[in-house]
Amino acid sequence: MDTAIRHTGRVRQTFVYLGKLFRMFIFRNDWKVMPMAAFISGLVSFVVGKKMNVSMEGTLRGAFAFSCICIWNGFFNSIQVICRERPIIKREHRSGLHMTSYVFAHMLYQAFLCACQAGITLTVMMVAKVKMPATGYVTNAMVDMFFTMFLITYAADMVALFISALVKNTTTAMTVVPFLLIFQLIFSGGFFSLTGNAYKLSYLTVSKWGLTALCAQGEYNSLPMTSLWTSMSKMRSMEIEGEKPVDEMLDYITASKRKDELMLECASNNQEKKYESSMENVLRCWRNLGIFIVLFSFMSIVMLEFIDLDRR
Amino acid sequence: MNKYLELALLFAFVLAETVGMWRIFSKCGRKGWLAAIPMLRRYQMGLCAGRDAEGRQLALLESGVAVGIFSCIFFKTGSVSYMVAAFLLLLLIIPYTIFSIRVYFGLCDAFGRNRFWVVPWVLCDWLCALIWGFGSDFKTAEGYPFDDEDAAPEVSGIEADLTAPGLSINITRRTAMSLFKRKVLLRDIHLIIPMGHMVLLLGGSGSGKTTFLNAVTGYEKANAVITLGDSNVYKEYNSMKYDIGFVPQQDLVRGSDTVYRTLSDAASLRLPADMKSDKRRERINEVLDTFGLTPVKSSLVDKLSGGQRKRLSIAMEYISDPTLFILDEPDSGLDGVMARALFEKLRVIANSGKIVIVITHTPDRVADLFDDVVVIAKDAKRTGRLAYYGSVYDARIFFGKKSMEEILMSVNRREEGGEGRADEFVRKYSALAAGGEV
Repeated sequence: MDTAIRHTGRVRQTFVYLGKLFRMFIFRNDWKVMPMAAFISGLVSFVVGKKMNVSMEGTLRGAFAFSCICIWNGFFNSIQVICRERPIIKREHRSGLHMTSYVFAHMLYQAFLCACQAGITLTVMMVAKVKMPATGYVTNAMVDMFFTMFLITYAADMVALFISALVKNTTTAMTVVPFLLIFQLIFSGGFFSLTGNAYKLSYLTVSKWGLTALCAQGEYNSLPMTSLWTSMSKMRSMEIEGEKPVDEMLDYITASKRKDELMLECASNNQEKKYESSMENVLRCWRNLGIFIVLFSFMSIVMLEFIDLDRR
Repeated sequence: MNKYLELALLFAFVLAETVGMWRIFSKCGRKGWLAAIPMLRRYQMGLCAGRDAEGRQLALLESGVAVGIFSCIFFKTGSVSYMVAAFLLLLLIIPYTIFSIRVYFGLCDAFGRNRFWVVPWVLCDWLCALIWGFGSDFKTAEGYPFDDEDAAPEVSGIEADLTAPGLSINITRRTAMSLFKRKVLLRDIHLIIPMGHMVLLLGGSGSGKTTFLNAVTGYEKANAVITLGDSNVYKEYNSMKYDIGFVPQQDLVRGSDTVYRTLSDAASLRLPADMKSDKRRERINEVLDTFGLTPVKSSLVDKLSGGQRKRLSIAMEYISDPTLFILDEPDSGLDGVMARALFEKLRVIANSGKIVIVITHTPDRVADLFDDVVVIAKDAKRTGRLAYYGSVYDARIFFGKKSMEEILMSVNRREEGGEGRADEFVRKYSALAAGGEV
């Protein structure tokens, strides 16, 4: 028996599995994630799109909603991909499959899916006439936006890929997903003010870095703040000693065309350093999302290396 | 209540339980002093009750409960640490109670007492331990321990010749660790399978057939020396794994790929990297032909019938033309005619000079196709042992049975509906293999 026979190496195995994954994309209807991405981003654009990149509040809400879409897409792209074929992988590992090749093939395939979804989301946003950022901080505005959305989706995708490599079946994986999503939503720092240890925990979420990048690109700190004006408008009818001072004040501001000035002044007192619009800030967010991608894909490989310990 | 008083009370209860359990262990024929070691006490209780798995779990849970109780005593009531400790204690107490109930049920059976005793045991274990330990009426039931049988000797002293052509198997032991206990899954299995033989692997559920095969292929290494031809399977595992085909019980194939692509990907993994692509295609087509899959080569795997899918699963391993070909229940889900046709194909493979080992639960419909039969049986210690290896014809004489299924029944344990004669045949086969009298 010749013991010096060379068998397929990691690079070739990666392409074998990549081919397999793309065939599944066609035959197993994995392409359905594309229209799903379009549908969700359409809904979100309809609800929050008008105010995005227009006012501080609208930008925060929009950035939060769009980073949630990306996370949702990423999670559902890969949460079941490994666990549903775990016994098959175990069999193939026995026949010489390298886990690095298997995970790397998934990484390439998922990168393709995530890029498509990011592209679809951006297209839907443009069709829905969501105001896009005017300035690009790293490249041009659209490419920056695409890259941010791609990285958010891909980082969430890799987190889900790790969960899929960790758990033994699809039921467990799907049980874990809501907890992951809730964690991402609560600790993004977008809607709940986080302090102390809770704020530190937000560093461990994809949503925080995604939200920050989107706000930075949308020039959050330069936008007017409308919430004060809206609140005061609701108090127009308030009477004090037979007079309506709020109504009078708002009429005066409107008549003197100083409404925008007031909203900008209001915004200047509510600026957030973390949403600073600068190349450094955007790159820092991208780097952190990149760390998620590398770390979780590496952990997926490590988990799968122990697949032989699965009980029958 | 004062913290020290709480501790003193806790200590008094534990002491009372220890003394009672000491006596109970002695009554069960175990070392009484083990009751003085907190975690081991629970494990020994499980052994006395004939429920060692539950006993081990209970021992582990007890350590957690103890930590929880001490934390609750020492942390300030109402503090965050106290609340966390109390919450964890609550979480642990639920499984602890469940496992305790399981062990108490076993203890009631062991002492021949009504199972209602479980209630006082749960509510006041220290008092029950004292009553059962010191009460002269509380004795172990007749026939206790219930699974004590005349066990076969652990080692036969037989060894297979490693230089013999074919597959030489010398498994001394295959163990697995489970909580605190090292369990022996296989012991003392020595045999040589010549090239070109098709071997039936027979054994009841949980007897260790798949463990045996995994040990033979080197996938789960045992304390063993396995040689295939001139090669040591364990030492040269990385190259040998391509020369051993293992077809699992389930059809582990992706449904959304075509038959040809599935086989071609399998070929990419298993065939040498420098094999020319036309040679590779030739081999794929040859294997498709051998297993009658050519007409469906462009079909999706999901569209195949059960028999076709099974053949594809086998073809994926056969693609590398392995010297040793192992199949775990390849006929599961197939009707008699399809199963027969499949085994005839395997016979042809064996005739080409390969070794084919097959596990099947319906052996009699294809028994004539096999050269040899290996019978693995669970002995009194629940360890997989070699009860027979030889020709199919001689197996019937050896066991005094007419069919393979009758042979299986004779070695299966009584609680599984068998005759429980595994140890008898293990001894008999050892004597036969050693050249002694049967």
